[in-house]
Amino acid sequence: MNVITAIKLYIEKMTNESGPGLKIILMDKETTSIISMAFSQSDMLQREVYLFERIDSARSNERLKHLKCIVFIRPTKMNVSLLADELRSPKYGAYYIYFSNIIPRTDIKLLAESDESESVREVKEVYADFLCVNPNLFSFNIPYCMQSLKWIPEALMRSAQGLTSILLSLKIHPVIRYRAGSVVAETLAKQVYDVISKESSLFDFRSHDNGVPPPLLLILDRRDDPITPLLHQWTYQAMVHELLTINNNRVDLSKVSGISKDLKEVVLSGDQDEFYSGNLYSNFGEIGSRIKSMMDEYQKKAKDQRKVESISDMKNFVETYPQFKKMSGTVSKHVRVIGELSDQTAQRNLLNISELEQDIACRADHSAQLQRVKKLVADEKTAVKDALKLVAIYALRYERHANCDIMGLLQTIEKRGGKASFVPKLIEYAGQHARQGELFSTVRITDAVKFTRNLIKGLKEIENVFTQHTCLLKETLEEVFKGRDLDPMYQVVGSYVPFRRPHQEVVVFMIGGATYEEALAVHQLNVSGYRVILGGTTIHNSDSFINEVAHATIGVQPKHTKSLQQFYSPD
Amino acid sequence: MANPFDSDDSQILEGFLCPLCREDLKTPEKLTIHVEKVHAEEQDVVKSLKDIFSIAKKKIKLNFDETVDLAKAFDTTLKPNYSGGQIDVITDGEQTVGVDCDHFSYLNAIRTPRLERYASETNKLIIRIDKLLKERPTDPVQRKLHDQKTVPWLDGSSVKLCPNCAKSFNFTRRQHHCRLCGTIMCKDCSLFLKYEFALQLANLAQTTEDISKASEEGKQKDEGIRVCDHCLRLLETRKEMQDSRTCRPPITLYYDRIKEIEKEIAPDIPMYSKIIKSLYDGDTIFTLADASALRGKIGHAAEKIDSLSKAILSLPCPQGSREEALKKAVRLACIKMIKEEMLSIPSLPDEQEIKKIRDRRRMETEQRIERERRLALEAHERYGLGATNSTTMSNAENAAFGSAMTTLDNWSAYQSSTATSSDPLVEQINIIKGYIKQARQDLRFEEVATLEMNLRELQGEFYRRHQETKQA
Repeated sequence: MNVITAIKLYIEKMTNESGPGLKIILMDKETTSIISMAFSQSDMLQREVYLFERIDSARSNERLKHLKCIVFIRPTKMNVSLLADELRSPKYGAYYIYFSNIIPRTDIKLLAESDESESVREVKEVYADFLCVNPNLFSFNIPYCMQSLKWIPEALMRSAQGLTSILLSLKIHPVIRYRAGSVVAETLAKQVYDVISKESSLFDFRSHDNGVPPPLLLILDRRDDPITPLLHQWTYQAMVHELLTINNNRVDLSKVSGISKDLKEVVLSGDQDEFYSGNLYSNFGEIGSRIKSMMDEYQKKAKDQRKVESISDMKNFVETYPQFKKMSGTVSKHVRVIGELSDQTAQRNLLNISELEQDIACRADHSAQLQRVKKLVADEKTAVKDALKLVAIYALRYERHANCDIMGLLQTIEKRGGKASFVPKLIEYAGQHARQGELFSTVRITDAVKFTRNLIKGLKEIENVFTQHTCLLKETLEEVFKGRDLDPMYQVVGSYVPFRRPHQEVVVFMIGGATYEEALAVHQLNVSGYRVILGGTTIHNSDSFINEVAHATIGVQPKHTKSLQQFYSPD
Repeated sequence: MANPFDSDDSQILEGFLCPLCREDLKTPEKLTIHVEKVHAEEQDVVKSLKDIFSIAKKKIKLNFDETVDLAKAFDTTLKPNYSGGQIDVITDGEQTVGVDCDHFSYLNAIRTPRLERYASETNKLIIRIDKLLKERPTDPVQRKLHDQKTVPWLDGSSVKLCPNCAKSFNFTRRQHHCRLCGTIMCKDCSLFLKYEFALQLANLAQTTEDISKASEEGKQKDEGIRVCDHCLRLLETRKEMQDSRTCRPPITLYYDRIKEIEKEIAPDIPMYSKIIKSLYDGDTIFTLADASALRGKIGHAAEKIDSLSKAILSLPCPQGSREEALKKAVRLACIKMIKEEMLSIPSLPDEQEIKKIRDRRRMETEQRIERERRLALEAHERYGLGATNSTTMSNAENAAFGSAMTTLDNWSAYQSSTATSSDPLVEQINIIKGYIKQARQDLRFEEVATLEMNLRELQGEFYRRHQETKQA
């Protein structure tokens, strides 16, 4: 269960099936991202793919009949008709066509009728229809998936297709469960279920009769846990995404002052960058010391370079050159990125803010916390957007507290020019009325197990104040693996004979976007022997999450935030 | 001193000889087949022969497995380990490629009948062209009659509009006929098939001379043969298919050669590392000269690839075209390949150093043998005479093993007195030595390693037998 490997295997299959020779690959916008997440350009060169072309952009008419053309596109109407045009006047010698998902037969017929020069050699569906971010994390790059708190139809279709492809690429025929009470989760779960029943011949692998429980596809709703995407993160990958934004493994550094030309955009790919893959989940402190040791090593080598005197020295140096060059690239890249992270942390007073964020997320202590929030929000040194996030976290926690002072805080935000409308929107989107489960462990006496657990949690000394929050997903997954009764919270689609043993393999999908903090939780579970893959409509940081909330609440009449109507801007 | 391996009749036979009829069979497979076929009645011999090979194979395999493991261990210890367990360890065996669904047969089922229909239609047209061009009169009136005779024209009396552009026919817009299918169209909708092209299609023109001659003729007469849009398209598609199948510009020729060299050199690079490693380990299978020769070969291949990719880059092509981009990409891939795989191979070890390692290793082996012998002797004394036979046996075995492990040179001393050249084992050893020499010359080091192992097996076996006979 490694999503990067799954994509790689598919791409290798595609490049192998066309045999040796000069090749070009024809892609669309999305499949370009899919491939670029798994392979670098030089990897593709090694597979004899020398040219890259987009089917959906202006193309030259130059004919290169001695090239084989690998076509890898999503099965959209638009793509099929573009491909049919291409086949009517083929520019390349032979075509090997791969669709990234299930394609209707009528479309194949159209292609067959367009191929008058008999240049198609292969037509296949391969299910590489998702972006692999980490080995355990995938995304569909849907920036926002809801409007008026309902699915946007295209986003629903894309998610269902993407999930189908995940299942097929990993050869999983799952039991599907969704978050009870969430309409969006239910709709998606049913769509995926329908596809599986309709395409039963595709899903015809592995029978689970020898006591192994079937894998589980668990469809969740971001609205159950709106806190995680708002918290500031301190692990490397999450932090880079929060402060600099990772987009398809690429980080844009062009706004950083004094950046050298070749570092304007850096690629952070765990697959090609050993340092990065080794430190995805390291926290900021650890990473600082590691980069230092790496620098030392680098400098030692760089000094060696200067000390080259004899011929044998030179030889030695040249022989280690490829590694050296690679390393120097990695070092300067990460030094730059980390430097930027630490600058922002200091400038924006993020340590203080994060400490309070974590405190509110994990511990109920209204009056003291309110005082601290007030102080930080009013402080000119706190960036407005950080202040807004802080208020949002406070609002989520104390929405129904008797002395809740969202009003006062929002007035301060508005005075400072912040987008105060976000907070009422967030509460409409994921306030207590919308949430299920216990986001903030509000202790109920009836649940003795939870009560004692919370008590123990409270007594334990907190190891790190900045990372004390654990996301809801982790608790959910722990329950799955402990074999708790899932029925009341997570309903099954279709008929299902209950299994005595807990599931061993789980694919979790978060409607409304997953986060890198959750990826970390999944990673920790995987390290301790479970098998989990996480996916989301997208991977959020706080900015993109704010955007998602804004879209989801377009056209929603405020029901739960009438008192905050004055902040509800009509946008 | 006479070479102990020389046979009585002073004629040296080499190769995979059949032990029964002394025929040289060149390869072990052929030998096995030969014995199975020709000497079918002597089944036990066949069996023993097979056994020898299979045992040898097994042993070889075992040895190679070990080296692979070592290499792995080597790799893992050398690789920088940044932090434990950052990458997910979800390994349930090898992950296999996901599901796929093939639609090609469906596509073909739809495409084939269509293509066949087009093909037969096109063929018909070509036959007509052929007929039209044969003895075509130069006089326009005669020609028209000739055309009309070859392809019956449609009766135009009831056709009031041009079927293509729907304009009405009148005095100024007169009816014309497609010379290939006989349909009607107006002047504006008529297209012309060039003579040159027509001749090519009909395969009448055998040489370019013919074509140029014909096109000259054509120019004198008129634009070509009047055809309709449909017929012309069919013919052009056919032409294009023919062209694209035979399209082999120079870049592909160079490229194929690069790939050939890469393929040829591919096994040599890991082999080279293996040789270097074995040299550092003090093994005697390979020599420093082997490594140097192989290194030279790899370097030579790198040079060849470099010059070929440069040749690709210098092929003429319009600036800013994708052809240019393609050439650049190929060159880039070649440079990368040369830099990362062919030039990054470790340098040759120092001769002195290797010698030192070897000496040390030999010392260690000798010490070990000595120690074992001492232990055996002690055991012998402890258990008394009852165990005499078995201990001497194991002693002998140890010694044999030791000798095989140390060097090959001190080998010849052993059998000079006793070895009889009629011994098939000795012959086999001789043959294998010859092969090793040959393989070395041809830089086939994989074979060298296999044969060396084989040789040691045989030598060990020979020594054991020799000891046995001595005792007897």
